[in-house]
Amino acid sequence: MSPSERPDRKPLSPRQVEQVADVMFALSTASRVAILDQLRLGPATVSGLMEATGMEQSAVSHQLRVLREHRLVRASRDGRRRVYELYDDHVALLFDEAIRHITDTSGASKARRGAARLRRGAR
Amino acid sequence: MNGRAGPAVIEPTFSPPAERRSVLDRAHVGDVEGALGTLSVFDTGPRRSPRRRLMTLLAILGPGLVVMLANNDAGGISVYAQAGQEHGAGLLWVLVALAPVLFINQEMVARLGAVSGAGHARLIVERFGRRWGAFALGDLLALNALTIVTDLIGVTLALGFFGVSRYLAVPIAAALLVAVIVGAGFRGWERTMLTLVVVSLAAIPLALLVHGAGGAVGSTAAPASSGSSFVLLVIAIAGTTIAPWQFFFQQSNVVDKRITPRWLAYERLDTLLGTVLVLLGAVAIMLTCAWAFDGTALHGSFADAGAVARNLRATASPLAAILFAVVLLNASLLGAAAVTLSGSYAVGDYFGFRHSLHRRWRDARVFRATSVALVAIAVAVVLIPGAPLGLITTGVQALAGILLPSASVFLLLLCNDRDVLGPWVNPGWLTAIGAATVGALVALSTILTVTTLFPDADVATISVAVFALLALVLAAMGVLQLRRPRHRPTTLSTAAERAAWTTPRLDTLPPPRASRLRSATLVLVRVQLLFSAALLLARLVQAGLGG
Repeated sequence: MSPSERPDRKPLSPRQVEQVADVMFALSTASRVAILDQLRLGPATVSGLMEATGMEQSAVSHQLRVLREHRLVRASRDGRRRVYELYDDHVALLFDEAIRHITDTSGASKARRGAARLRRGAR
Repeated sequence: MNGRAGPAVIEPTFSPPAERRSVLDRAHVGDVEGALGTLSVFDTGPRRSPRRRLMTLLAILGPGLVVMLANNDAGGISVYAQAGQEHGAGLLWVLVALAPVLFINQEMVARLGAVSGAGHARLIVERFGRRWGAFALGDLLALNALTIVTDLIGVTLALGFFGVSRYLAVPIAAALLVAVIVGAGFRGWERTMLTLVVVSLAAIPLALLVHGAGGAVGSTAAPASSGSSFVLLVIAIAGTTIAPWQFFFQQSNVVDKRITPRWLAYERLDTLLGTVLVLLGAVAIMLTCAWAFDGTALHGSFADAGAVARNLRATASPLAAILFAVVLLNASLLGAAAVTLSGSYAVGDYFGFRHSLHRRWRDARVFRATSVALVAIAVAVVLIPGAPLGLITTGVQALAGILLPSASVFLLLLCNDRDVLGPWVNPGWLTAIGAATVGALVALSTILTVTTLFPDADVATISVAVFALLALVLAAMGVLQLRRPRHRPTTLSTAAERAAWTTPRLDTLPPPRASRLRSATLVLVRVQLLFSAALLLARLVQAGLGG
């Protein structure tokens, strides 16, 4: 089903457009994507994230703050440690869809690619 | 010229738009929406006709003008008025000498903002570590709150001249500030600020008016004295004119205005124009008080800026007195608005909160709330009955003296950091001038801290000692610099390539190159900071024991 066939499809308000763009902005840096990818596997501390991503502590903390500001990550206290996890399951879904987008092997897109190849050949 | 005639000509000089990769807030990318014009992100075409250049300049005008004229805030006006009343035109040279220093510093922060897309606080964290960043942020916020207090006092003095009670004046001023902070978008904010900038120029007709009315202008060129109060006043003028919040403000404001390296030439003009106007304004205030009080009994007996307004009514004309009060009120509001915003920018920048005037309240709550909180603290301090207002002025100078040396040293190191600025690093001659001015600023701040905290100290001896020490340190650094292997200039040389060059993502930069010069400078900054902090502590202990 393509988006235009959805019955409840209304155009986004200007504010919603801005908000969606903000979320995409938060996802637009490789180091932030790497952190989110780690958090998909489960909650983690800053030191755990440093080990997993190979980034420095200041960089991890900084990117975590940006992710928290955009409500993609939340922090909770576990004793004296601070544990980070994905804000909710939407974030994981968003991530999964992005991965599907790059490793897209569904029939529809295969057909589209085939058509594109034909068009190029015809030219 | 023949703008729309003939077929489109393809220009080979078009360059790709500069993309700043390190911005923290998506609102920092997009079209320039200035008070006086708009520039599209994709506008990379050449500026051939004078008219297009002028339109571009108008769109860019803002950060430089605001940061410079906000510099003549209530504290500045008071000090210039005091200098004029006590020493006639004898201290004009200090203003003339400070103007180039102002321009050099602000040009550097504007360049850092345009090329990196990051604020000053964040660059300090990235290149010098979290501790320095936290120190800079903490000191800046304390300093800003106290500076807003002095501006609100300026409001009470100005409105007090018109017979308004301080318990009415302060809430009105605070309400105006909060309305601008909470309600304005970027363009609305900048238009409000530019209006205040225009009103601040009323200082110039004020001086002319007093000059015409006074008539009896004696020999104002000779300084009245050259004792320790004279030296202190020189240092106080330097201290109010070169203030640390300006670094944080203009860098973030340039980022928020979305000025890229493509527009840096225009931003430099903006800063230059601001420097000229701030110099004119300060000179006008000083001369007003020099001309109005020279040869009268009031010469040499400065009380406060409110008394200046009342005395002007007697010695010059009622109109001059009203003009002075208006200039003071305007300066206080402009100063408070800019200082408030610099705090908000720095908090957002440091903690990663969204921080842009392009965002409304609900999308950037922490950003706007920081400003409201700063104003609220200042209002509370001013309205406390019997608040130690003299102590607050002292506190502003002591805190500024503690923050300014490290901030200006970091600024110079950042502007020589090839990883951050690439082809936009300081040329050698600018670094030399910058090092000399930073050295002088460090020395002045040290003297300011010593004399603020210990007013009985022998100023002349301390000054000689500090400057001699500084000369030694600078000479040692010069030797280190000469023995350093020279860097090759980067290959990016054409203007188009430079215009599109921006800092790579900050977290991918290699760590700062360790050099003897860099480590020596950082040691020096630490020593200076420890010295100032120790003095502050000693003074507090002394005050505690003395009762």
